[in-house]
Amino acid sequence: MSDEITFQIEQLNFYYGNTQALRDVTLTVLPREITALIGPSGCGKSTFLRCLNRMNDTITDTRISGSIVLNGQNIYAPNIDETELRRQVGLVFQRPNPFPQSIFDNVAFGPRVLGIAYGNDLQELVVQSLRAAALWDEIKEDLKQPALSLSLGQQQRLCIARVLAVTPDVILMDEPCSALDPIATNQIEELIQELKEHYTIVIVTHNMQQAARVSDKTGFFWLGELIEFDETTTIFTRPSLQQTEDYVTGRFG
Amino acid sequence: MTKLVNRKMTFNTKYRQLLEFVVEAIIRISGYSAVVFVGLIFLFLMQESLPTFGEIQARDLWSQRWYPIENYFGVLPLLSGSLIITLGAALIAIPFGLMTAIFIAEIAPLWLREILKPLVEILGGVPSVVLGFLGITVLAPLVREELYLPTGLTAFTGAVLLAGMAIPTIVSVAEDALDAVPKAYRDAALALGATRWQTIWRVTLPAARSGVLTATMLGIGRAIGETMTVMMVTGNAPQMVSGLGSLFISLRTMTATIAAEMGEVANGSLHYHVLFSIGLILFLISLTVNIAASAVLFRARKRTERLLS
Repeated sequence: MSDEITFQIEQLNFYYGNTQALRDVTLTVLPREITALIGPSGCGKSTFLRCLNRMNDTITDTRISGSIVLNGQNIYAPNIDETELRRQVGLVFQRPNPFPQSIFDNVAFGPRVLGIAYGNDLQELVVQSLRAAALWDEIKEDLKQPALSLSLGQQQRLCIARVLAVTPDVILMDEPCSALDPIATNQIEELIQELKEHYTIVIVTHNMQQAARVSDKTGFFWLGELIEFDETTTIFTRPSLQQTEDYVTGRFG
Repeated sequence: MTKLVNRKMTFNTKYRQLLEFVVEAIIRISGYSAVVFVGLIFLFLMQESLPTFGEIQARDLWSQRWYPIENYFGVLPLLSGSLIITLGAALIAIPFGLMTAIFIAEIAPLWLREILKPLVEILGGVPSVVLGFLGITVLAPLVREELYLPTGLTAFTGAVLLAGMAIPTIVSVAEDALDAVPKAYRDAALALGATRWQTIWRVTLPAARSGVLTATMLGIGRAIGETMTVMMVTGNAPQMVSGLGSLFISLRTMTATIAAEMGEVANGSLHYHVLFSIGLILFLISLTVNIAASAVLFRARKRTERLLS
């Protein structure tokens, strides 16, 4: 299992209209590892993340070149079903965005639209997902309450439960804690560590300590390029580039 | 710097206070006047229609024959005519209008949206008499020939045209509501593997439901109050409605009756007062529709406030 490759990204270029957002990004994501992507705002790390489940397809006037291979299959190949790809590669957004529906309906949404669970199986799947997202104990009394009545931290864990319910292989997280307070952030970070046992995780973060705490590998984006990618401990203790060192030590960015 | 500042503060302050007072008074009066006008209209309608009940029984009013020359003032044919034509218009306009709104808000590319939205709003501004012309010259003959009816001037013809008038209202309001749904909801649905249609049906539409409901209410309100078009194309025969089949006979609405007969009625006669009673009924119906619409909106807002507090 250890040498099985989840994502293999090669020579990835991405353009918004005439603006190039990503330049020749090459990166390999290994299974059951947490890969953190860091870099100053506007450096392309979120764009890169959204390429991995083709969420950028929903934006008009964009262009992509290069290849992203997931488990041996190029995800930009014409025969790829993007809804199935997005089931396999879940995305947790920056701001918690539960639907204005009940907790149960939020988690059940994915299984329902994909038609992968019904009746008692669906009930069980929702419960398991909420447990796996460390939310179950707080809300088990009332799954019918509106999701928007939860605290922001709970909402974000609900969004993670919603992603888990469609049984993904990879979970992408786009600054999942930037809207949360330190306690909620801590809970999410603990959750990420637990999820690592079963899922491959790619996380974009602005928080250096977070990257250092949770990730196995760290990539540093700079002006649309992935200029350094290595073991997290290496990046944070003896990076090979001066720019990386300046950034992780807080001297700029 | 200090030289640039006007130190005569006393004058300045008094002037500003006066201006503030005047502006506030004007705005206040404008606001209250809307309420006063509605109240006055209601009072006037009451005053002109109440004598009806001194002269004939409510039972006579609530009967099936409208023939004012012989003193038959049964408003049921007119009431049922209005209702069935509105129902027919709603059955056409609501699905069609909502689908158009969904297309414009969710599916059409940006350039097409920028053409369609103003076009729909222009359609909403077409005078009803022009639509009536179209109805008489194009739609009515078509209905007669295609459905093998003795006349094309039927309730159905009126319903189709009314739907045409209600659709722009429905599309415009519903599109605004759909457009106001945060993009984050759509992104979340798509990221979970939902197709575009599943996203619209299960996330966007439910999230916009109060606005969509308001849109249909406003559309229906527009249809039930419309006069000119229905007068021109429904045949104006005050026949009693006896089910959905009555859509294909000539009918008459309350609005058309008032418009057609008010001009030749003796001022202060029983007929005159009965026409005002019909106006009162119309007023009450549109009031009910509007109150229902705002009740729905109010409930939705209450819920949001509870959630955000």
